[in-house]
Amino acid sequence: MTSTGSSSSAEATKPAATTAELAVAIASYNDVDTIGDVAAAVRSGLEEASDGTASLGGASIVESRILLADGGSNDGTPQRAREALGPASASLMEVTYPRAAGDLLDVPYHGRPARARALRAILEGAHTLGVKACVVIDGGIRTVAPGWIPALAGPVLEGGFDYVSPFYARHPYEGALTKGIVYPLFRALYGVRLRQPAVGEFGGSARLVEAYLDADVWDLDSAQIGIDLWLAAGAAAGGFKLCEAPLGRRTFHTRGEALDLGTTLVQVVGTLFADLEGRVDVWQRVRGSVPVPLIGDPPAVVLETPQVNVEGLIESFRLGYRELRDIWTWTMPPKSIVDLRRLLDVPPQRFRLDDDLWARIVYDFALGYRLRVLPRDHLLRSLTPLYLGWLASMILQVRDVPPEGADARIEQLALAFEAEKPYLVSRWRWPERFRT
Amino acid sequence: MRRKNSASDPLWYRDAIIYELPVKSFYDANQDGIGDFAGLIEKLDYVAELGVTCVWLLPFFPSPLKDDGYDISDYRNVHPSYGSLDDFKQFLHAAHERGLEVVIELVVNHTSDQHEWFKKARAAAPGSPERKYYVWSDTDQKYLGARIIFLDSERSNWTWDATAQEYYWHRFFQHQPDLNYDNPAVLAEVEQVMDFWLELGVDGFRLDAVPYLVEREGTSCENLPETHAILKAIRGYVDAKWPNRMLLAEANQWPADVRAYFGAGDECHMAYHFPLMPRIFMGVHLEDRTPIVDIMRQTPEIPEVCQWALFLRNHDELTLEMVTDEERDYMYLAYSADPQARLNLGIRRRLAPLMGNHRRRIELINSLLFSFPGTPIIYYGDEIGMGDNTYLGDRNGVRTPMQWSGDRNAGFSRADPARLYSPIIMDPVYGYQAVNVEAQVRETSSLLHWMKNLIHLRRLFKAFSRGTLEFLDPVNRKVLAYIRRYEEDVILCVANLSRSVQPVQLDLAALAGYTPVEMLGYTDFPVIGREPYFLTLGPYDFYWFELQRRGD
Repeated sequence: MTSTGSSSSAEATKPAATTAELAVAIASYNDVDTIGDVAAAVRSGLEEASDGTASLGGASIVESRILLADGGSNDGTPQRAREALGPASASLMEVTYPRAAGDLLDVPYHGRPARARALRAILEGAHTLGVKACVVIDGGIRTVAPGWIPALAGPVLEGGFDYVSPFYARHPYEGALTKGIVYPLFRALYGVRLRQPAVGEFGGSARLVEAYLDADVWDLDSAQIGIDLWLAAGAAAGGFKLCEAPLGRRTFHTRGEALDLGTTLVQVVGTLFADLEGRVDVWQRVRGSVPVPLIGDPPAVVLETPQVNVEGLIESFRLGYRELRDIWTWTMPPKSIVDLRRLLDVPPQRFRLDDDLWARIVYDFALGYRLRVLPRDHLLRSLTPLYLGWLASMILQVRDVPPEGADARIEQLALAFEAEKPYLVSRWRWPERFRT
Repeated sequence: MRRKNSASDPLWYRDAIIYELPVKSFYDANQDGIGDFAGLIEKLDYVAELGVTCVWLLPFFPSPLKDDGYDISDYRNVHPSYGSLDDFKQFLHAAHERGLEVVIELVVNHTSDQHEWFKKARAAAPGSPERKYYVWSDTDQKYLGARIIFLDSERSNWTWDATAQEYYWHRFFQHQPDLNYDNPAVLAEVEQVMDFWLELGVDGFRLDAVPYLVEREGTSCENLPETHAILKAIRGYVDAKWPNRMLLAEANQWPADVRAYFGAGDECHMAYHFPLMPRIFMGVHLEDRTPIVDIMRQTPEIPEVCQWALFLRNHDELTLEMVTDEERDYMYLAYSADPQARLNLGIRRRLAPLMGNHRRRIELINSLLFSFPGTPIIYYGDEIGMGDNTYLGDRNGVRTPMQWSGDRNAGFSRADPARLYSPIIMDPVYGYQAVNVEAQVRETSSLLHWMKNLIHLRRLFKAFSRGTLEFLDPVNRKVLAYIRRYEEDVILCVANLSRSVQPVQLDLAALAGYTPVEMLGYTDFPVIGREPYFLTLGPYDFYWFELQRRGD
């Protein structure tokens, strides 16, 4: 293992205040193409916040610090950040954390190796500074605007919120994994309608930071992959006050090769499923859901329509059915498989995967994951064609409706997850194994 | 390393589910016919997957093994048959890694007569510091008010020692001389023994035979104030030096007497509820809730930081000391028609045979164990319905090798069968080929799967471990109904103690508006109103309802 310091080390490179009300942290790794804009936006955002140009809901910042947690970039990312910060680099605090040789071989879906260790170091740095609010921004984002800083910090500093989740503008076809699984599952489990819980940015209060640092999660293998989801779940399940902040578009530069869908599913859905076991006493008590307030005005954005080959998605589903049906019988009841069988023969225009069936499928896989009916990686990968089938079905239903209609359709899906939650609870409490 | 739970939650034992096991009986890794720590480590995943949170190990210390290890000859080591101290450390680490706490035995009332302390004592001069480690007398007519516990094997609590030329005091077998707690050096020795194991990371001690620590003329020599003073001193020592470690008292006494072992929350954290166990068996056999309700109503309140330890069966006989003579007669007739099954004042049988191997009765009685106020203790093998062998002498019939599979020696050991420390159970009903872990893991409707589900379900609701208990009083006495409450949680438990279908009307008017949700299937039942709530229960059925107030 190579290390540039202990996981808890947080040292200032230049003399600066040892306490601050607000810390804005940038997590970076080989982001030289974007880090300059990100740093400049952070600098501007903090300047506007401190001189009152930007609204913090009435709050004003006396002292702030910028934290940089770089994962060992070899392209000059930290230097570029310092240049972009200009005089503000005097308040820059570079936080360091241990890195391991294997980090680069096992890159999570967000493309940042050792992200959990980076976040832990950031939170420890913020805690050391005694901040009231801490904002975390990914250094690879191309669309960061100065307004993101007050948008993520303001609800904490003035609104009394503990966790501010970005709400990014997305085309109905975009973020399908979140819309089809993460959001409805998260909402049904924890009872909060947090629409994008897996993103890499957030604003957090001092008490939330403290709770995160006190949690027994940081050294778990699963944390290295899904720490962002875990943080959101921790906030939702821990009784913290949540809100969303509309930030507009989020685009980012790709770090290395993009992950294939199967691997992304394994990482994202696996993280959610892995978290279920530890929070069972919370989510089994939750009934229904409450909305999460959206604080701020959504910026005007123009969303391009991605090209999607729906017939290809359907064909992938059908191929998956033929190849993986046997695997599915380990975790899905015969009724669900028979229902899926009916989709093999319908013409593409009439291809529909019912919401309640899809909710039960996701719940079945959650239970199969818990019971280890198959190697977990194999099980989750076998979800891929089912997800593609759901995606095809959803696109066919929303492609001719306005964006608000697409939102309503996702709301309908989320309600189905809530309605079917007793199915998950009952099977979780008294598992029925379909094969032994 | 200690797991986060016991390291950070001082009340961890209140939510625990304990699995009791003898190392020698669990799994033999070195193929010498005796279970060992290496074997136990191999099987820890099984224990963790069962859902229990704590392992209680029966004595594993060096010992002549005349009382299955409760005759300790060295408090700071591991019996070579079970491995080494390093093996124990590895086990402890592996258990903590799996989120399991570990409780070990602290047998402080007596030692083996082979302990160095006793060897020195009997050889030392009367009145010398060495001699004073034990209780001596030149007559066997002292403390005549103390009963003899092992009536089947001992005729006196005094035994003449030819070397010392004095009688020594023993409340149990004559090879187990009692330590002398009137000598402060003894307590200091015990504290050092505790330091040794707590330093390694054990999470608690089961304090064996605690009522008998001190003797006084003209008394029963049980539950004396001086004994409580010793226990308070032990507790104070542990708390000051080793926070969050737990002390569990073995005090086979009536509830009012056991209550004293909790002190004001400054003595033992936990104590067994001995009288409850036979009355659960009695209630099930009588098909009448009265014995159970009566004993629970006699059970005094205990300090908030304390907890009852509940069990159905353990490594000893089903003790009938804490019942009336009439109740004992009933229990003998009901559960041990074969005199071979009787030992001392009890019945040496496992749970499944006591229940006639009736699956629904086994489930029912476990449902009571897991829903009554206290920390449940499962005796190894009862989760698969293991049987016993009452012909093995003493209590060895309930200490036979764990039945892992249908392979040779039940998968317990690869040694020649003749080398096993005990014969395997081989009868056609409970034999290892019919009852074993491997088969029950594969069979999803097995008792093992049922137990896992019930354990995990119980863990979901702190009302079971920490909640209050309130009995309902329906006319039909074959039905036992009670409510558990903790913070916002309200749980209704209803059990049919009989072999036939029973109707019951429950007065739940105070809970009008709640929706009972049957916990196992998460099924909504009709909303509770002002009228009596009507239920029908099949033979030995039990329901656990989570009462939800909808629209909150």
